[in-house]
Parts: sequence; C-alpha cells; structure tokens
Amino acid sequence: MSSIHIDPLEKKWIWAVGTIVVLTWIVQLYYAIADSIHPPSNVEVIDSAKLHMTEEFAEKNLGVKKEEDGSYTVTMVAARYGFYPPMIEVPVDTKVKLRIASFDVLHGLHVPGSNMATMVVPGYVSEVTTAFTKTGDFPMICNEFCGLGHDYMYAKVRVLAKQ
Amino acid sequence: MKSVQKTTLLTALVAALGFSSFAFASDHDKPVATGGPSSNVAWTAEMMRFVAKGDISNGARLNSEAYCASCHGHAGIAPSPNWPSLAGQRAEYTFKMLKDYKEGKRAGTAHNQLMQLAVMPLSDQDMADLAKYHASFPLPTLPVGVTHDATKAKEASKMIVRGDGSRFIAPCQSCHGSKGEGSITDIPALAGMPPEYFIKTMQEYRDGTRKNDVYARMRLIAKDLTDAEIEAMAHYYAGMTAK
Repeated sequence: MSSIHIDPLEKKWIWAVGTIVVLTWIVQLYYAIADSIHPPSNVEVIDSAKLHMTEEFAEKNLGVKKEEDGSYTVTMVAARYGFYPPMIEVPVDTKVKLRIASFDVLHGLHVPGSNMATMVVPGYVSEVTTAFTKTGDFPMICNEFCGLGHDYMYAKVRVLAKQ
Repeated sequence: MKSVQKTTLLTALVAALGFSSFAFASDHDKPVATGGPSSNVAWTAEMMRFVAKGDISNGARLNSEAYCASCHGHAGIAPSPNWPSLAGQRAEYTFKMLKDYKEGKRAGTAHNQLMQLAVMPLSDQDMADLAKYHASFPLPTLPVGVTHDATKAKEASKMIVRGDGSRFIAPCQSCHGSKGEGSITDIPALAGMPPEYFIKTMQEYRDGTRKNDVYARMRLIAKDLTDAEIEAMAHYYAGMTAK
C-alpha cells in the first residue's frame, strides 16, 4: 500500500483542528445534557397572512397577561419593521412565556442580557419561556435580516421590580 | 350598475356632502375601539390572485359610471389637491381601501363617509377591476395648479433614505420604495401625491382617526413625527414625479 506524503507541519495542523472540533462537540454535548438545552420543541402552525383575523394574535389581544399561577404570558407579532406592541412591561424573576408569530417574512428576536431569543418563522408560532433577572429597560431586536428597515426593528422590554 | 342604483348613489353622495360636517362633529368624541381587526383583508395567495385578475376594461367603465373620476380623475390624476391620485397605485392597496371603506374599517371623517357611500354598490370583483385599472397607469404627476416646494423636499431626504436611528424610525423608502412606488403587498405608492392630501393622511394616522393599518404599523410611526417632518415628506413625495 502506497502512502501519500503529508508535510509534518500540515499533519500538526490536522491534529490541532481535529482536536478543536472534538472539544467543541464535547462542550456542546455536556451542556445539552447538563443544562438540558435542546432545539425548540414547540411546533405550532398558523396562517401568517390571516394573523390579524385569529383570536390569539388579534390586535386587541396582544400584550402582557397575568396567568392564574402568577406567571405571565406575552403575546406579540413581528412584522416589517417592528414588534407589536412596541413596549411590554413584565416583573423581574418571574416566569414569562412569550408567544410570537410573524405577519410577513422571517424575523428573529433577541433581548440582550437575557436568554429570550428565538426565530420567528412565518407560518409558525414561536414560544419561549424565561425569567428576566435584572430590572431596567432592555431592547428587543430583530436578528434575522428581514428587509431594508431590519436595523430599525425594535421593541422595548421594561423589567420592573417585584411589588 | 342599474340606473336606479346610480340615482340613489348620487342622491346619497349629495346628502353626505351636506350632512357630513354635522355627522363628523357628533361622532368625534366617541371611543374608536371596535374590538375587531383593523382590516378584514388578508393577503392569502388566493386573495392576491383574485386582485391580480381584475379586469382593466371593466375598471375603466366603473371609473366613470361609479363617479370615481369626479374626484380621482379620468386617468388616475386627481383634479384637486384634496383627493389622492390613484394612477400607478398598487392594485392591492386600492382594493384593500375599497374593502375597508365598505366594511367600515376606514371611517371617521367626512371624506371617509363619502367614500363609504360611493363603494356601497361595488362588488369584490368591481373593486379588483377598479384597482387594476388604476394600477395600469404610470405614477401620477401633481394635479394642475398644485406645486411642490423643493427646499422643503430636501429637508425630508434624510428621513426618507436613512430614517432616524435615535427614534428607531425606519427609512420611509424601506417600505414605500426608493421611487415612491410602494411595495408588496399593500404598501401604497406615494410618488406624485398632492402634498395637502399627504399631510392630512399622516395627521389622521397620528391622531388615530385613520386606523385601518393592521397592527397600527403606520399609526405608530406617524405618532413619532413632527408637523415639520410630515410637511417636508409631503413635498418630497409630491416632487418625485415632477418633470
């Protein structure tokens, strides 16, 4: 069996890169198991074109609602170029379930400083549950390019101290 | 339309002109929330196909027979700055407005009441035909005798092209197009719109008189704009099709 010639320097780099890849897998696997981080499990379809005609995402039903168990449900819509309603107020250290759907194209959602982040895919309802740990005003920004006004797509999340 | 209906409509229009100012005054302080959606028009694939198949020749006939032309002109250019020119308007937008008028989603001013009466005899097919008819013209020039102020127009160019990051206001052209031609699905064309009509519309969005924009997308933007900015934008778009 003939062997191909590999330069020793190249060989070292193959080992270096291979080690980094394997280490990354180990780190991902560790957090996936230890923190039970997994792909979003909520798969729920909706007709984005008729979003404003649905009960849940009707204009009058958007916003923050307090549930009987003390947690909060936030219903929002992402549409070019904004999140509606443009400001939400939720208490700190309380379970907040965000349900959001797109009225038009693919959007993303991220609240820096928290782990509130999800893609908003037209035709689906995205659901994320989290608790904000710091009080103050935080931006909610779009992180999937959605058109020419993408970088102006914004809402404000006001996290209030518990009463 | 039958001639009986035409006579009824004409009478109704004349009556509306006479009584509209009274009716407007008495309705003005009522709460606006009806609880329903801002518009019943939903842009599903079937709806878009329906409008795209509108019959231009029937639209041309209706434009005269349904009295559209008396305010909006015979080739989609309004004869007065009080009314919008419809030439080159996106068919989806014109269709949505006609539906919104008929279903009471665009109401609240005397002009709106007039339109609500005017669209009463129109079927969905008539609306699609009229929308396609007006969309078949190029973007309008200003009505005869109406001018735009180029200096003011210049003041708006930053807002139109760049927006305002400090207030998170997206550039107007990100939705309404770099030529003011509008965009999918029902974002209206604004080029060549009489400045008076543009200013009136923005003020109506700002004070919530006009509320047929789904999810208040235009109302929220208009609320953040000053009078001077609105005026400058009006002249910018008015001048876009100037020769």
